[in-house]
Amino acid sequence: MTKRIPLIARDLKRLYTGFLIAAVLLFIVCSVLTNFNVMTLIANGDAFWEFITEDFLPPALPKADRIPGVLSSVLVTLALAMSATTVAAVFAFFVALFGSERVSPFPRLAKLVRGFATFLRNIPALVWAFILFSSLGIGTGVGFVALFITSFAFMVRAFVETMEDVSQDCVESLQAVGASFPQRVTQAILPSCLSGFLSWFLYCVEVNIRASTIVGMVGGGGVGLTLFSYIKSFQYDIALSIILLVAVMVIVVDRVTGKLRKEILK
Amino acid sequence: MEPILRFEHVAKEYPNGVHALRDVSFEVKEGEFISVIGPSGSGKSTLLRAINRLIPISGGRVILDGRSVSDQKGRNLRAVRREVGMIFQNYNLVYSLSVLQNVLHGRLGYMKGLRGIFGRYSENDKKEALALLSEMGLEDFCCNRASDLSGGQKQRVGIARAIMQKPKLLLCDEPIASLDPSSSKTIMDLLWSMTKRRGIACIVNLHQLDVALKYSTRIIGLSKGEIVFDGAPERLDDTMIEEIYGTSRENLMIGGTEDDKADTVNCA
Repeated sequence: MTKRIPLIARDLKRLYTGFLIAAVLLFIVCSVLTNFNVMTLIANGDAFWEFITEDFLPPALPKADRIPGVLSSVLVTLALAMSATTVAAVFAFFVALFGSERVSPFPRLAKLVRGFATFLRNIPALVWAFILFSSLGIGTGVGFVALFITSFAFMVRAFVETMEDVSQDCVESLQAVGASFPQRVTQAILPSCLSGFLSWFLYCVEVNIRASTIVGMVGGGGVGLTLFSYIKSFQYDIALSIILLVAVMVIVVDRVTGKLRKEILK
Repeated sequence: MEPILRFEHVAKEYPNGVHALRDVSFEVKEGEFISVIGPSGSGKSTLLRAINRLIPISGGRVILDGRSVSDQKGRNLRAVRREVGMIFQNYNLVYSLSVLQNVLHGRLGYMKGLRGIFGRYSENDKKEALALLSEMGLEDFCCNRASDLSGGQKQRVGIARAIMQKPKLLLCDEPIASLDPSSSKTIMDLLWSMTKRRGIACIVNLHQLDVALKYSTRIIGLSKGEIVFDGAPERLDDTMIEEIYGTSRENLMIGGTEDDKADTVNCA
């Protein structure tokens, strides 16, 4: 018998096979644990399709006198995302200055600052909204604070990394010149990192537009709350038009910020 | 004459246990042009940064113009630093600012409060910066972004920034390691003439042995953090070179000819 010539290394092949087996096993275990059954999905398929075709389609417009309200709620969502991100960016900039060992005048505290930011960031905006609306009540205030906290924490990390990438060399040279910490910030860090900061800021706006809709649904105000109230009152066809409206809004914002980011980084 | 700079048994041990400098002592007088040579990792950069405390030392004393550098903090440290100009291998400019702004950064150490923070330089400083730029042949570029310049031009801006500090001592950390041969020559000539004319002492870290031999009034050879040679370039013979680099002179020159100067960048 002639031995087949292997095309890839044997242990690599073993690794792939192992991965495949592990994935299949994982699927089976998870299906059992969650009682997920493909069959029930197929068996209940009719109800599902009925719901889609009867309740959702075709999309319907809300009553004429409600339309301005819906549109203004979209604007509220946009404004919520923009304002929360902007305020968060300003705070994040000042905090980020102390989050990098190489830039901060107190390098020992840098780890603490970053750890704090990581902690805040790992709690999703949705959870913040839930926690907050028991103390702040339903409304845009909750949405604002929830988005502020998460995007603040995200931008602290992003800004610290931008600073360490971009401005390390010129910070050293200004240190050698005898410049003070505020001088180094305004004369070296800010000018050299500004485009990087703006790019992260725009990315954060993008993320927050999506998040603010969801945060709105749990009580943060804006189009999320409007959408949720239509769903709760079983007016699914109107809900669908609002969903489409949200999709259009997200796509438009995505394209605009994407374009701006490309311009900035040129 | 009182020396500008004095190293007294300076030692530096990094937290990871590396001894970058061991018992380094020397003096620098006005008008000297000193090259520090040695293989990579011999402590050249640490030596230079110990002078203006960009790297704090762990033993001994560095005395600059009569003041012990390691004792200075805050405002006093800034006052020490502004008297020492520094030039870097990677130029270390703020590339998004104009050439003129970068040159004026040399004045920041002398400025206080909001004027310094917002870069409101005096008209006198601006005039001086422009004069310096034309001396460097960069007058047409003063309003360009620093990122638009070539390597040699960027280094000239770096020199102008350091000269704007009106320093007593100029530190150059591998000033020509990223440059082509002809720019390297321009930069070394400029360093030589600028410091000579203003009576500034100059310490240059160099990888290129032939450049060191050509320009210096004195050469310091470092090996594993210790000074193994300190004297006039004429005294640096082949056995000495071998002791510094741990290899013979022929192995340090790629082509061995004069024109290949900058190609010997990483000879060590």
